Amino acid sequence: MTSVAIEATALQRRFGDRAAVDGLSLRVEAGEIYGLIGPDGAGKTTTLRILAGLLDAQGSVRLLGRDPFDARSGSREVLGYMPQQYSLYGDLSVAENLAFFREMYGLSRDTFRARRDRLLALTRLAAFRDRRVQTLSGGMYKKLALACALLHEPKVLLLDEPTTGVDPVSRRELWDLLHEFLAEGMAIVIATPYMDEAARCHRAGMLHGGALLVEGAPNELLVAFRHPVFAVRGDRDALEELLARDDEVLAYTPAGARLRIVVREGHERGVLARLEAAGARAEPTTASFEDVFLARMREERSAA
Amino acid sequence: MSGSLRRTKAIAHKEVLHMIRDARVLYLALGLPVIMLLLFGYGISMDVDHIPIAVVDQDHTEASRRLVEKLVAGENFVVVARRDSADETTPLLRRGTVTAVVVIPAHYQRDLARHDPTSAQLLVDGSDSIVASIALGDAVGSLETLTPAAPEPPPLIARFNPAMRSAYNFVPGVIAVILAMVSSLLTGLTVAREWERGSMEQLFATPVRRSEIILGKLIPYAVLGMLQTLLIVTLGSWLFDVPIRGSLALLFGASALFLCAMLGIGLAVSVITKSQLVSVQVALLVTMLPTTLLSGFMFPIANMPWILRVLSSLLPGRYYMTALRGVFLKGNGVDVLAPQLVALAVFSALVLGLGIAKFKRRLS
Amino acid sequence: MKPAISVRGLERKFGKFVAVRDVSFEVRAGEIFGYLGANGAGKSTTIRMLCGLLAATAGEAEVAGVDVLRHPADARRAIGYMSQRFSLYLDLTVHENLAFFGGAYGLFGAAFRARRDEVASELGLGALGAEITGSLPGGLRQRLALACAILHMPRVVFLDEPTAGVDPEARRTFWRIIRRLARGGSTIFVTTHYMDEAEYCDRVGLMVDGRLAALDTPTGLKRTFAPGRMFEVRGARAKEVAAALPSATVEPFGAALHVRPNDAQVGADELARVLDARGVAQSGVTETDVTLEDVFLRVVGGAGAS
Repeated sequence: MTSVAIEATALQRRFGDRAAVDGLSLRVEAGEIYGLIGPDGAGKTTTLRILAGLLDAQGSVRLLGRDPFDARSGSREVLGYMPQQYSLYGDLSVAENLAFFREMYGLSRDTFRARRDRLLALTRLAAFRDRRVQTLSGGMYKKLALACALLHEPKVLLLDEPTTGVDPVSRRELWDLLHEFLAEGMAIVIATPYMDEAARCHRAGMLHGGALLVEGAPNELLVAFRHPVFAVRGDRDALEELLARDDEVLAYTPAGARLRIVVREGHERGVLARLEAAGARAEPTTASFEDVFLARMREERSAA
Repeated sequence: MSGSLRRTKAIAHKEVLHMIRDARVLYLALGLPVIMLLLFGYGISMDVDHIPIAVVDQDHTEASRRLVEKLVAGENFVVVARRDSADETTPLLRRGTVTAVVVIPAHYQRDLARHDPTSAQLLVDGSDSIVASIALGDAVGSLETLTPAAPEPPPLIARFNPAMRSAYNFVPGVIAVILAMVSSLLTGLTVAREWERGSMEQLFATPVRRSEIILGKLIPYAVLGMLQTLLIVTLGSWLFDVPIRGSLALLFGASALFLCAMLGIGLAVSVITKSQLVSVQVALLVTMLPTTLLSGFMFPIANMPWILRVLSSLLPGRYYMTALRGVFLKGNGVDVLAPQLVALAVFSALVLGLGIAKFKRRLS
Repeated sequence: MKPAISVRGLERKFGKFVAVRDVSFEVRAGEIFGYLGANGAGKSTTIRMLCGLLAATAGEAEVAGVDVLRHPADARRAIGYMSQRFSLYLDLTVHENLAFFGGAYGLFGAAFRARRDEVASELGLGALGAEITGSLPGGLRQRLALACAILHMPRVVFLDEPTAGVDPEARRTFWRIIRRLARGGSTIFVTTHYMDEAEYCDRVGLMVDGRLAALDTPTGLKRTFAPGRMFEVRGARAKEVAAALPSATVEPFGAALHVRPNDAQVGADELARVLDARGVAQSGVTETDVTLEDVFLRVVGGAGAS
């Protein structure tokens, strides 16, 4: 029996005359990780801040049934939040930051020690406990920020681009950490610009102009994806110029030494012919989540 | 320990760490008061001496010479020029070479001996009215004894400050001004800094309450403030020979209440403006300026127009000043100063309440 | 022809901590040189030394023909630098920012305006002159920061994670611009965490714990560190696959796994059959390209990066 851990209904938030979030609704269940993806300015940070009760908005939010905008609802005890901007204390050490959050959540000494040691081990920050946070590199900082958000073992976790600026190895470590807690029933919403991370989520929602364009389980979205995808080999510079101008090509991304292109359904013949004329070789390949996302964005933009 | 207490304590502890690791805060908190005390104390003394004067002696008799000697005897005046007529001294007054001119008319000695009306004239440069009035006062004091046969006027004794030493006036006032300035400055920075650095966002996601944040930040600065008070009271009293006639406990009690008020102002400003730069300016404007001008420190309240008197009665600085002078110079006790203490307590509670109320748990 | 950048035995210590250790390499004029590494591996420190912003504790470095360690001020005239947290003035307009940085490099008046318009149009900022910088989305700000860095036509341009946090489309546009700059003769030295961008580089250096652990073309690196064929295995668990194929490299990649068997003869179908035979659940195996991310994981992952 699954329970709804995060529920947002018809969220609306304007900044001036711009709608940052426009009629957004969301449901995440315990043990589920939901990816919020979208380009800059799509509303990811605004959405997360509303979910955390940090930004007023129309509509309603419930975290495990509690209203994060109501100071007495006890939402803070079950919420873990990692903002996009740097918000730990730079002049304090790793250990001091963790100890501070221990006090904020009222953890007993033994509980704190056990969790702290486990988190420091999982994030490989144990050797840096006495280092001032401002001297940590970007990836280390993010790992610490995640550790601070996980210290009180929240049931709901909101992460705003936790892996931006983090190298591939550290990113995997962060994800391993998240999986540990997912297995224990945590509900997670993660805003991410990385398509491969969105693909690892149970469900993902594409934000555009403050509303969810598409939402669903990545592999379902992939199965439903109609446009054919090809891996193209050739002179990359020339190819990119060509593809940028071709309206039937919905998206292209570098993939190793080749380019993956998404061709509008039904228009493969023309595109492949043009590519061949340019001296390129194309091979059909399986679609990736990034293809789905980019193609959808492109369709949205041409419709606008 | 209850959650609330733990969180408040943690906020206070964190604030202490920030304070220690930013040396500038400590320099500001402890160094600046000392510097200001020395500047105010030594630099701005209302005891003006060695006032340069010119003498126009048209009598050239022993009586006239004795008059001049009497004037310069107390080191209040120094003769820097002699002329034959008052007109010749005008350029000296204009240029500021002399601040005053003594004119002794011809036949001074003769008229004096004959009990005929005569008088020496003191011309004072009034462009600096403070110095002028001091000069006048000093001169009158020096010369009083010269008028023979006049009935002895009742001696003027300034109680509590017999030598009318300005330090007695200044030191308590300077203490108030320094505390007002430094404490509101420091707290003015603290909340705004969290907003600017971005850590407020993370903090609001935790169970901590606004009152815990405000009070937690208040405590370390209050302790620091008491250290400042101890420092400048001791220094001021020792360097300038100002006695502390009342109870020390009362002095520190009143200071603690005043500190709460000033720190509270700083915190409220910090909460409302969310910008360190603006915070600092507003905090100073709202604490140091009124305390300097309207608390009775430099200018007597009784002399002010009614609107300023009303304003003054709303300022914690005014009550603290009264309390300070009371304890330092008059040896007043709680019985006399109770109204001041109550006023300070009420103000503190109000301003801290304002800070908490205005503290929004939302990012804008 | 003299290399645009020449580094020998470069070292930087912070107290006892050695951030950069014995780094040596050369970059040719017009080359796009990528610099990768885990966070804290020493990339930013290296760039700062090469830009004359940080002194070295040992070694030599020459950039655009100038000994940058001994004469940093002279070197800066020929260097463009776009920092990680780029320093644009958010409350100024696009033109005002350009004017400020132009002025900093001694460009004024008509000469400046001509150059400004040239750069703005090349970077697609032509119509945005009067926009307040803070109101621009990340991708456009990135381009503006680049514009400010190349106003003075530097021979060598250093870019420190220039596309961090920007969406894929904007990143692609940005790299098109970079490649155009390189074709025009500028040498580009760039650090990035986006492995797909690193593919655009002519050569790539990998830093691990302060040392240059690898330096080659992307193809060369793949051959050295991830030789053989790469397969994407979907719907399988890493531990199971690793247990079933002990001599293969297995890494999570998005929702799937990247598996590189020891034997380069094995194809996708055969691999699928082997997995089925050994009781490993999977929902599809396809051959895929080796990427620099695979290389990165191989070189850096094993070394215990922090």
